[in-house]
Amino acid sequence: MESNWAVEHLQTIRTLMERSAVYRRALAPIMLFAGLLGVLAAGGGIVFHLDSTRAFGGLWLGTALVAVAGAFLIARRQALKDHEPFWSPPTKRVAQALLPPLTAGLVVSFVAIGVLGNNAENGFNLLLTLNWLMFYGCAVHAAGFFMPRGMRLFAWICIGLASGSLVLLMIISKALFPNAHWLMGFFFGVLHLAYGAYLYLTEKGKNAA
Amino acid sequence: MNPEPFFQLDRVIHEKGRLAIMSMLAASPKLSFTELRDALTMTDGNLTTHIRALQQEGYVAVAKSYQNNRPLTTCSLTPAGRKAFAEYINLLEQIVRQNKGK
Repeated sequence: MESNWAVEHLQTIRTLMERSAVYRRALAPIMLFAGLLGVLAAGGGIVFHLDSTRAFGGLWLGTALVAVAGAFLIARRQALKDHEPFWSPPTKRVAQALLPPLTAGLVVSFVAIGVLGNNAENGFNLLLTLNWLMFYGCAVHAAGFFMPRGMRLFAWICIGLASGSLVLLMIISKALFPNAHWLMGFFFGVLHLAYGAYLYLTEKGKNAA
Repeated sequence: MNPEPFFQLDRVIHEKGRLAIMSMLAASPKLSFTELRDALTMTDGNLTTHIRALQQEGYVAVAKSYQNNRPLTTCSLTPAGRKAFAEYINLLEQIVRQNKGK
């Protein structure tokens, strides 16, 4: 009886200690970088008419890859500058939390693009966009557990916008929706820039993992 | 069973709310009042009371500063707090080991 109580206590302590290691490294620069990249990719997609499903998917999956690599480098640079280990326990937990939803989103995208290929129409790109936003929101929310509270709010905004747009897509004609690049530019560009600016203004000088 | 370890448990830390605060602070160099409050879903008053009790015992240090023209209260474990927490964990582990061996 007493042993169970002690085990539960130890488990609670362990959970709280894990939760306590908040990841705060370079979130504002990462968000600004991702946002800028999103806006540039959207501009490129619109200007060069990359509207076929393969071109659309290729452009945005490539952009995501560059964004992840850039985020990795920014976080590493900050760790080196602060003489701290990069692969710290909070970094590991954030990576572990991000990975499942991002992998699921990637697999779904590859399968969908592979199956439908270039036969899909613009409506499919819209669906792809909202699917990405949904998975991305889930990933950020999972990682947001170890980050400042605003991160989870940002994730809910992504999930809410994706869900709302999906409902709208069902109700009204997809022709009334803007080009999917515009949506991507707004969701992954403007939203990140706005959140990055918010973080930059409110958490300046407080970045440490 | 030897009841000794149970009676040695630090009563100040043993309380649920204070143990949660100590656990959070043990894993982080410092945490703001807001971070603690949000993570532990405590009310301002409840958290203040617990922190004050831990502060009086010399386990927690509280620092007040300003960030973006707003007051910022940060809490951290003192060396005495860290030692008391480690001893508390040791005693808990001792209780578990003792009962497993039965």
